[in-house]
Formats: sequence, structure tokens, C-alpha cells
Amino acid sequence: MATAQKYSYNVEARGLESRDKPRRFLQAFAAVLQHGNYGVALDTFARLSAKCGRCAASCQLYEATGAPEDIPCHRSELLLKIYRRYFTQSGLLKARLWGGFTLTDAYIDEMAEAYYRCTACRRCKANCPVGIDHGLITHLSRWVLAEIDVIPRALLVSVREQLEGATKNTSAIPVPALKDTCEFLEEELQDIYNVEIKYPFDVEGAEYVFFPAVSDYLMEADTLMGNAAVMHVTDASWTIGTGNYDGINYGLFYSDRMMERIVHNVIAEVRRLKGRKILIGECGHATRSAWYVPAFGGPDAPPVVNCLEYAHRMLEAGRIPLKPELIPERVTYHDPCNIARSGRIVEQPREILKAICADYVEMTPNRTENYCCGGGGGTVSIDEIREFRTGPLGKRKAEQIRDTGAHIVISPCANCKKQLRELCQDNDLEDVEVLGLHDLLLRVIDFGVPTSVGAAAPGQSEAADWRG
Amino acid sequence: MDAWLQWAKGPLFWTALAFMLVGLMRHLGLTLWETVRAYRRAGDKSVPIGQVLGTTLNWLFPIQRLRNRWFYSLTTFVFHIGVILVPLFLAGHIKLWEGALGISWPALSNPLATTLTLMVVAASIALVLQRAAASDSRILSRFQDYALPLFIAVPFVSGFLVMHPAWNPLSRDPVLLVHILSADLLMLLVPMTKLSHMTLLPITQLVSQLAWHFPQDAGQRVGVTLGKENEPI
Repeated sequence: MATAQKYSYNVEARGLESRDKPRRFLQAFAAVLQHGNYGVALDTFARLSAKCGRCAASCQLYEATGAPEDIPCHRSELLLKIYRRYFTQSGLLKARLWGGFTLTDAYIDEMAEAYYRCTACRRCKANCPVGIDHGLITHLSRWVLAEIDVIPRALLVSVREQLEGATKNTSAIPVPALKDTCEFLEEELQDIYNVEIKYPFDVEGAEYVFFPAVSDYLMEADTLMGNAAVMHVTDASWTIGTGNYDGINYGLFYSDRMMERIVHNVIAEVRRLKGRKILIGECGHATRSAWYVPAFGGPDAPPVVNCLEYAHRMLEAGRIPLKPELIPERVTYHDPCNIARSGRIVEQPREILKAICADYVEMTPNRTENYCCGGGGGTVSIDEIREFRTGPLGKRKAEQIRDTGAHIVISPCANCKKQLRELCQDNDLEDVEVLGLHDLLLRVIDFGVPTSVGAAAPGQSEAADWRG
Repeated sequence: MDAWLQWAKGPLFWTALAFMLVGLMRHLGLTLWETVRAYRRAGDKSVPIGQVLGTTLNWLFPIQRLRNRWFYSLTTFVFHIGVILVPLFLAGHIKLWEGALGISWPALSNPLATTLTLMVVAASIALVLQRAAASDSRILSRFQDYALPLFIAVPFVSGFLVMHPAWNPLSRDPVLLVHILSADLLMLLVPMTKLSHMTLLPITQLVSQLAWHFPQDAGQRVGVTLGKENEPI
């Protein structure tokens, strides 16, 4: 389908038609307010917004550009203004008496640009005295924009393939290719680590059904080998379902309507396999969307476990045997916003890293106050804005990494990893290697047999050469 | 003049007070109602209540927040302490309540009240200056963001002059009238402006959190409402 460059990102042709956009936007906004839980928050935000500017000091983008439109509160005001004018009694009354603000095509275009400059990392939320969640407003605005077809094409085509395509996953990997890949990984594990580990497919009644970011099967061989190795040494009952093997959920980035459908498909696959739990791979947004399983699937929906939580629990229980030697290089950790901002997965990866690294250092700030990698909110998939992502948006993160002097940056998130690699390439940090946590864990697991690599092995295994 | 004073501290005062209280209760009531409704519709009812409470208390008593932009934060801190304490605990005000309703409570000493009053006046001016000086808050600011702190200072300045005749270049009664009228007007403004945070602040963190607790089938319903449930992606 034809795309054109009206915004900084590509959208499909129907998103460019300007016919009747304001009316359709308001109609969609009304429907979202009617059925969603956003109304009371918007009402409170619209009433209390104090315009104090404290959020400006916490935004890495505004810090880099200094542009007024990049102040979180300024961006949120775009939607709050529409809410006040069209969805509050006083706004309707004022409009009747004095006229004033009217939603136009140009205003919608301004929003389309603004809400995709924000990664919805929610760092500024912690600095708002009246509790305005600017990330929530970005999330909501993108949904309403999506209902009038303003969606970055990169996100749209992924979701289309996942929900309507033949392969049912965002990377369009057919089942035979998936199985080939896993066979290849099994051979690698045999060749490098001298251990026989299987990727189990469609095992009924398994405790864990595994959903990594499907792109890991193309890009992150070491992460997936690490995942399988942890499951192997802990004698876990796990499986990969051939009906649905993709943890990615780009609905989180532009439409609750899509997010809900994708989550339902995950639950359906676990039910088909009579599995008991959902195991999410190293992926921040996949984990956060899976945390919506109880929201969309109800109280009987299967529980969700992230592979970091699993590995941490097993390591604590002494069920992951480790080699005596530690990872010698200096290692630092980047917190993926989607798992760290809420404080849910913050210490587990650190405790694993401290147990296996000789020289672990923190970047500052970290944990719930971390800076976004610059590719959050799905922006990492939008290749046409790379210059923006690795420039103003990622500048602060590049500085943080440089300040640690680390050789390895660990980030257990497919999106963060892609962004951080591009960030390092574009910011003279070529010596820095960006890896998943399981990549590193794999190097130090003691399989009880002699292996061809030690802890000090560079990350570029043969499997990594096969990448891409 | 006396009739004006009687009107301002009598009927107008009670009307403004009632308007403020009813307005604030209405906001609080509606917000609570909507919050409960949001909770009941939420598909996942496990709200991290401890975290929400922690953040709420953290902002109600923002001592830890002084680090970020410390001078600006300190100014708002001082401003709020005076604005809350002086009107409620000034001995002269309590005497009026005692006369009208026969109730009273412990008062601030007059020197302390005077100090707080002067701090409010200084802080309100400092708030406006800092807002105008920092480019980010200047860009964000609306008329009311400058006008409200300055207007809040009016009853404090006039109150100070009434209490300290030696400093007052004008005669007492007109200044007292300005004091009462500005306070009355302020009460009328409270429910209609961002000043309503005085009752809504304790609930904003919860409201903010609940917005992420989506109703189980909100997306599907939106699709149906927009006639898109069968539309290809």
C-alpha cells in the first residue's frame, strides 16, 4: 500500500486523507471515554494541571532539544484542551458563549507528530505534583489517532500480520522456519556447550508456555539459547506453541483495541495447550502487555511470569549451577521502562548480574528513575526516525553508557537492545556490546561437561554471526 | 462603608463559603463516584494500593521533593504552609467564628501569623517571578497561572495592613473591605480553577493508576460503537 511522508514517520494512504478527521477524532474519543477508564483521570488532569514545568526537568527529549513542544505538560495539553472543550459542561458552555478553540486537521497533525516524539516512558510522571501521567495521555492519544488511521506504518503492518496474516506473528516467521531455527540453536548448544538441550514444541500440559519477542528467533540467538539453558538446568516443564509463539504486542503502543485482541490470542494458545503459565522472554513491552492478561482474560486467566523472574527465583534456590569464573568485562544494566518504571522488575536482574559478573556497575540514574533507551513506545520499529532516536531522544542514554565505561550493556528487552545497538553505532560507542541477560547467563552456567568456551568468551558466538 | 463591610463579612462571606464547600464536595463526590465506577469496571482489580498511598503521601508532604529545583520547590512549600495555616488559625479569625457559631480552636500567636503572612506575600511574588523566568514554565503558563498567586496575596497584604496600622498608609476600613472582598472572591474561584486541588490532590494518584486498569472488553466495545468490529486492520 502507498505510503507518504506527511509526518516524520510513514503512515498508510488512508491515514493521510484529511476528509472529516476532526469529527471522526471526536467520535472515537467519545467512544473511548464511554467504554474505557480514562475519563476520570482526564477530568482530574484537565482540572488540576498546574503548568509548573517540573516535568520538563525530567524529560530526556526536552533536555536535548529545548523545544517547547517537547515539554511533557505542553504535549498533554493538546489532548486535555480537546477534552475540556468538547467533553466538559463548562467547555461546551464557553464554546457556545464565546466560540474559541475548534479542532482542526492542522491540530490533529500537530498531535500526530507530538505523541510519536514521546516514548511514553513515564519518567515525568514521578515529577508531577498533581499526578498527571503524561505517558498515559500519550498512550490514549495514540489510540484515538489510530481510530482515524494515523498509525506509524511499521507498527500497523506488524499487528496486521500478527492478527490477520498467515504466520500470526509480527516477524512473519512460518512454523517450519521457526522449527529450523530452533534445530539450529540446539546444534549450537551441542557444538559450543557440549550439551543436549531441546526446544519442546506443542507439549500439552506444560507448566510454562513460552512467548519471547518473536524477533528473537531472527536476532537474538544467544538470548534464546540462554532461555533454553535455564529451563534445561532447572528441569522445567515448558513448551513453545506452534499456534502462537509471539510475545510482541504493538497494540500497547497504539491501540487498546488491538492490544486486547493480541492478549486474547496468547491466552487462547495457552488454553489450547492446556498450559498453566505464560512465560515471557526478554522483552519489556511484551511483559507489560502480558501483565494485562488478568485485565482482559479475567480472574481465571493463566498467571504471567517473566523469564528474569524465573531465572532469579531459580538462582536463589540454587538450581542454576554456575561455573566458578565470573564474567570479567565491565557490565552495566539498562532498565527497560516497561518493566522497571512500575518497580516490578528492578532488583531481580541486578541480583543475577551481581552473582555472575566480576565488575558490575550501575548507570545513573537507574531503576524506576532510569532514562528511556530512546526507542520506547514502539518508536524503535520506525526505521525512518532513526536519526531522531539515536540523536536527541537517545543522547542522554548514550552519555549514561559512556560514563559507566562498561564494555557490555545488558538490557533484557528486544526493543531496547535494537535501539541501544543503533545508539552505540551512531554515538561513537562502537566498543560497547549490547546483550540480553540470558546471553551472559549462558556463558557461566555449569552444564557439568567441558565446553569450548569460558566466561570470558566474546559475545560473538557462531550463532551471533548467523544473526540477521 | 459600614454597610459594605457588614455585607462582605455577612451574606457575601457565607455565600462564598457555601459555594466553595459545595463546589469542592461536588468535585470530590463526582471524582470518587467515577473512581469507584472505574474500579468496578476494571478487568484486573489488583491495584498496587501501597504504592499509590506512598506516592500520594509523598506529594501531600513533599519534603523529599525539595531536591528537584530546590528554590522553586521551597517557595511553593513556604507558600502552601502560610496559605493553609493563617486563614484557619489566626486568632482574629477564630474570634469571628466564635462570635458567629460559638466554636473555637487553638490559634497561632500573632507574631507567628505575621511572619507566615509576610512569607506568603514574598512567596507568591517569587512564584510568579520564577514562573516567568524559567523558559519551560513560561511557555506553559496561562493567564490564571500568573493571576492566581498574585490574587491570593491580596487578602494577605490587606490583612497585614489591618493588623499593623502603623504600616497602613490608608484608613482601616477600606483596607479591611478589600481584605474581606478579595477573600470572598477567592473562595468563589476555588472550585472553578486549579485551586480545587485542595480537595482533589489526595485522590489524583489513585485516579491516575486506575486509568491503566482497563475494563475487560473496552477495546471490543469501542470497536462495536465505531462500527469497526469487522473492519480489516
